[in-house]
Amino acid sequence: MNLDEALHTFIAESRELLQNMEDALLRIEQSPDDEELINAIFRAAHTIKGSAGLFGLDYIVAFTHVAESVLDRVRNGELRIEGDLVAVLLSSCDHLVELIEHLAAGSGDPTAEIQEKSKAIAACLNDYLGSDAAKNTNVVLTTEPNQTCTSEGGGEVETDLWHISLRFGKDVLRNGMDPLSFIRYLSTLGDIHHIFTLLNNIPPAVEMDPESCYLGFEISFKSNADKATIEGVFEFVREDCMIRILPPRSKITDYLKLIAELPEEELRVGEMLLRCGTLTQAELDAALRLQHGDGTAAPRPLGEVLVEAQMVSSPVMEAALDKQKQVKEHKSAEANLIRVDADKLDELINLVGELIIAGAGTNLIAQRTGDADLLESTATMSRLVEEVRDSALKLRMVQIGGTFNRFQRVVRDVSKELGKDIELVISGAETELDKTVVEKIGDPLTHLVRNSMDHGIESAETRLAHGKPAKGTLKLNAFHDAGSIVIEVSDDGGGLNKQRILNKAIERGLINETDNLSDKEIYNLIFEAGFSTAETVSNLSGRGVGMDVVRRNITALRGTVNLDSVEGRSTTVRIRLPLTLAIIDGFLVGVGTSVYVIPLDMVVECIERAAWENAGGDGRYINLRGEVLPYLRLREHFEVEGEPARRENVVVVRHGERKVGLVVDRLLGEFQTVIKPLGKVFNRISGIGGFTILGSGEVALIIDVPGLMGQGVVEMERNGQNAESMRALN
Amino acid sequence: MAKTILVVDDSASLRAVVGIALKGAGYDVLEACDGKDALSKLNGQKIHLIISDVNMPNMDGITFVTEAKKLPDYKFTPIIMLTTESGEGKKSAGQAAGAKAWVVKPFQPPQMLAAVSKLIMP
Amino acid sequence: MNINIANEDGICRIGIDGEMTIYSATQAKESLLSAMADCNEIEMNLAHVSEIDAAGLQLLALVKREAADRNKPLHFIAHSQAILDMLDLCNLAGVFGDPVVLSPA
Repeated sequence: MNLDEALHTFIAESRELLQNMEDALLRIEQSPDDEELINAIFRAAHTIKGSAGLFGLDYIVAFTHVAESVLDRVRNGELRIEGDLVAVLLSSCDHLVELIEHLAAGSGDPTAEIQEKSKAIAACLNDYLGSDAAKNTNVVLTTEPNQTCTSEGGGEVETDLWHISLRFGKDVLRNGMDPLSFIRYLSTLGDIHHIFTLLNNIPPAVEMDPESCYLGFEISFKSNADKATIEGVFEFVREDCMIRILPPRSKITDYLKLIAELPEEELRVGEMLLRCGTLTQAELDAALRLQHGDGTAAPRPLGEVLVEAQMVSSPVMEAALDKQKQVKEHKSAEANLIRVDADKLDELINLVGELIIAGAGTNLIAQRTGDADLLESTATMSRLVEEVRDSALKLRMVQIGGTFNRFQRVVRDVSKELGKDIELVISGAETELDKTVVEKIGDPLTHLVRNSMDHGIESAETRLAHGKPAKGTLKLNAFHDAGSIVIEVSDDGGGLNKQRILNKAIERGLINETDNLSDKEIYNLIFEAGFSTAETVSNLSGRGVGMDVVRRNITALRGTVNLDSVEGRSTTVRIRLPLTLAIIDGFLVGVGTSVYVIPLDMVVECIERAAWENAGGDGRYINLRGEVLPYLRLREHFEVEGEPARRENVVVVRHGERKVGLVVDRLLGEFQTVIKPLGKVFNRISGIGGFTILGSGEVALIIDVPGLMGQGVVEMERNGQNAESMRALN
Repeated sequence: MAKTILVVDDSASLRAVVGIALKGAGYDVLEACDGKDALSKLNGQKIHLIISDVNMPNMDGITFVTEAKKLPDYKFTPIIMLTTESGEGKKSAGQAAGAKAWVVKPFQPPQMLAAVSKLIMP
Repeated sequence: MNINIANEDGICRIGIDGEMTIYSATQAKESLLSAMADCNEIEMNLAHVSEIDAAGLQLLALVKREAADRNKPLHFIAHSQAILDMLDLCNLAGVFGDPVVLSPA
């Protein structure tokens, strides 16, 4: 097949797709919720756009893009397909037929008349894109010109070589990406002057996973390609690899930064400079010879030799020496450290968990016997066990600094990408939290940081116009607060626009116009599913910011997230997480013969039945001192058999801003417990977060309050009880 | 021996143009019109790279990739996803399924060739 | 990929046949390490390696380091074109050259 034949295929295929689109549009009015039909319509526009692009038919791409954007909103349920919209889409479909027939007739570029028509119909379609998006269907990508350097700290480095530092991520190979392929491709863009392959990160044989990647490369590269092209070589691995690219004649400060950023600790200064491309092999060799030259004097540090020989300007040297010193200090501290396999720690925590359970059993027996000596001895043991537990948990604590520092890179790259000048300020890096939590917090944090940079911090011009410094500041902060760790992501950007959020929330049906919300409640609406403040829709950029995903991830860690903002000044997102996922303080309740554990930090209060049964409400809500409180009977939810107790109790739990009452038979008091995960088979049981074993040997299920709330609300809505009826109660 | 690329898209013209470009660069090309068809082509023959659309009838691209990654012979095959949906949801679903390389539609043949040759040389 | 192992007078001769890639990396790691365990000297024949990727390179590096740690001389011999291309690309000919005699430090 040649290109001409392919074009004929395109024409035939488009005719068929447009016929399907027309059929579907004619049927959609009868069944506007038929997803199959909506998908067929969307796919027609989507496919024609994709193929037209391949043939360079830009006018067809431009027109189908608008239609596709509208259809995307329909598909996402943001827009209903009815009446007027169907008419507009039908005329779009007709117009596409016209464009395709014009192409089939071989009449070249569309006539002015056809172009006018395209414009008119696109304008009608634009009306369905919402005001913000319509204005802005193009994003201009700014690429930073290669800076020629000024005389900061000694000026440019002499070489005319690019310097590329690569540390590939562990999963690169598993994802089908071969680092060698990228380097092969790089070599087609220029000349690899020198390449140094780092093999020393391969772990000892037993630990080495042959499917993981441990490779790094330092490359000096001669090429006339621009920076975007060279960066583009690594676009598919950009997210999980460390990549540094220094253009030829970079500023010395850039090299200094590179030295500071390189992960290797044991690199000798000379090697580092060689790898950075700052020195040639000959220069380094000469320096080494000087250093060992006269056998009489004690060898001097390499750095001094280099400076004396005037082979390297001193600021570069200082950075390299700093690093060397850090490594040394690190080394002496390291002498007191031993490396332990994380699995062994997990095993220890597990055993401590068993010990706590066994201890509780012993306590129970001791209390039953009433033997004073025994009681005293078990009390001492309990205290010690608690201390052992705390120390064991501390073993798994790691500083959050490592996670924070990764963002230096993200902030640097993204600010370049966006053409904004943004500084990252890190504080509280030494704050510790559980390793498992640290591993899971990276993604949500990345999301928040990107969001702040994309949508929070304004362009330099806007900032100056508002009397702010041109450089934006992004802060990452962490601290401990009452058994939790609090992580803050804040920026000094434009803040959130309350009115716009309100309008959007009303438009999406998240709230009613009559709702009276506090500022905080308004801001936190952006975490609701289906809410997005993205203003631009383009060929390239994403549709939707997905703060609801952030909240979901945090909730899964038993944490909460909320947001504060001062319009025009700043935005702060605050994440609160438990210090550990392994052990919780629980509140024990009984339903029938079953025992459940509710995480204590979510329990607000307990009420006796007598206090609430006559307090009004309609069987789904109770009146808690004038507040409407939805409730849920655990007996019904978990289908516990038997008659309810005569005096039921309500445990009021809170997660984030929401409160729910859980109706139980008995309150059994506080209990410290180890969370054991449920097997895969039970993964889908909602409302259960794990289980634990009581001192008596009984099994108790741990209630997943956020999960239960999600389900409770759904059930209430299904029963036709919504916020309206809650208000009616007041 | 030339390397083999499987192109999965419901548009015959897209497959044709991509096929012409890839063959011109020295690759062997196999075609499939949707996820189901593509899975049937994964019958043990060596495939060095898969290019797949996301939105397709019968079986979409994400499901296809998820299934392909379960086959031992194609567990580590590099995958390029074609999409206009650079939206968070689809992309993270695709990434979770093992597709790390994305090319946004519409694209021109040279862009596709560049993306392919970053992952495998002919 | 096939790994042929022959022991002769304490010298372990390992021949690798086929693709040295991630698909066979797990199996290859096991075979190579166990082959190295019971011999005094190792000779790796790379003549029939038809393709090598980063996973293969990592295995060569691992074998080399293990041999050095156990003071066992290791020779890479008869490099195939695929191996030579890779060594050239990564500038590693000096590390995995032909023949490399590792003298215990």
